[in-house]
Amino acid sequence: MNTHEWESRLIDYIDGKTTETERKVIEQELLRNEAVRNRYNQLTEIIGAMNEARVLEPSGKLRANFEQALQEEVAAHAKPTKTIFFSPVVYRVAAGFVILLVGLAIGYKINQSNVEADRLAKLEQQLEENRRMMLAMMDNQLSASQRMMGVSVAYEMEKPDDEIVNVLVKTLNDDVNTNVRLAALDALSKFSNEVQVKNELIGSLKTQKDPVVQIALIQLLVKMKEKSVLNQLEKLTRDAGTLKAVKDEAHAGILKLS
Amino acid sequence: MPKPDKSIDLMSDEQIMEAVKNGNLQQASLLFDRFHKRIFNFLVRMTGNREVAEDLTQNVFLRLLKYRHSYNPEMKFQSWIYQMARNAFADHYQKNKQLKPANMEVEKLHESLPDLTEALEQEETEKRLIRALAQLPDDYRELLVLTRFQHLKYEEVAGFLNMTVANVKVKVHRAIGQLRTNYFELENV
Repeated sequence: MNTHEWESRLIDYIDGKTTETERKVIEQELLRNEAVRNRYNQLTEIIGAMNEARVLEPSGKLRANFEQALQEEVAAHAKPTKTIFFSPVVYRVAAGFVILLVGLAIGYKINQSNVEADRLAKLEQQLEENRRMMLAMMDNQLSASQRMMGVSVAYEMEKPDDEIVNVLVKTLNDDVNTNVRLAALDALSKFSNEVQVKNELIGSLKTQKDPVVQIALIQLLVKMKEKSVLNQLEKLTRDAGTLKAVKDEAHAGILKLS
Repeated sequence: MPKPDKSIDLMSDEQIMEAVKNGNLQQASLLFDRFHKRIFNFLVRMTGNREVAEDLTQNVFLRLLKYRHSYNPEMKFQSWIYQMARNAFADHYQKNKQLKPANMEVEKLHESLPDLTEALEQEETEKRLIRALAQLPDDYRELLVLTRFQHLKYEEVAGFLNMTVANVKVKVHRAIGQLRTNYFELENV
């Protein structure tokens, strides 16, 4: 018996990877050749033992250590976000302008203006990375505290762009956590003078089902003197599914707006 | 606690890793969920030592974060992470040459098996299997752990071991042959 060759054929046979013809040849050999049969039995046992070997569970420490390392990495990655996000836009624009002027002057003299273009591109890239980081935090489905942190950073902004407003609105309408939804409402309230934000807040009143958010939203819209929500408020007072506390707030709102 | 978004569950490993690479670091938790047991089991079978395997698994996921920028999205994530696990294993034994994996702590490993009330016969079978596996050369043991314990396809393994599929198959068959010899020799000890 050629050991390697037969062993390999038997392994294929046990794995079910033989052709029909090969299978018949092996089965005939198994019937008439005791040495091959013994080898087959041993291989079946060892392959079976590997297949049935148990999956071992790591200790809980592994996950805890990983989560800690991850949070440290997130914090390290997020550091530059704050310095740039909390800077007034005007400073950034001015800095860019100064850099551009310096670049132009140098470029005029030594014909290397592309150096400054690179620096500007890097600055822009960093801003974009910071922005993405904040959006990613707000999109973190696994951690309400991370989303809350993302919303808080948005709150600090002087003027958010459309994408950030959209994410805040989505958070206000869909987040599973009431506190995160309230924080999103708080952030949006800062920009309620913007037409887009105002419309989104009015739209949200129609879809909100969380009484806590409903009440906060009514108070905000009343404070904004938004008369267009009167119909919606009346609807809420008639809706059998609306909580009494929400109905009371809607009634108070109708009185103040009418 | 918020429920994970279903759309995230449907994301491929490669898509998630790309998000991590692009700064969405929290998504690395999902990759940890999907892979930590597999990597731990690979390393525990390679080292025969739970504590070392946990440390090395931890090391693999730290490498994932540290080297996220070097991830090539055209490469299968699974290949990349197994490659890092292999490197972590190789580095560990490079640093600790006196700790040959052949000195596997078989008894200790079994102390932590999930169900010690299993029939003693199965316990013995598995202990003997671990001893027989420990006697194999590293490359044979690695191939068996990947293809037989972790059930990876020959094609997948060939991808990150930089071997042809035919070569993987030949070596796996030889490794099984060698394991068979070790295993039945131990029966008579």
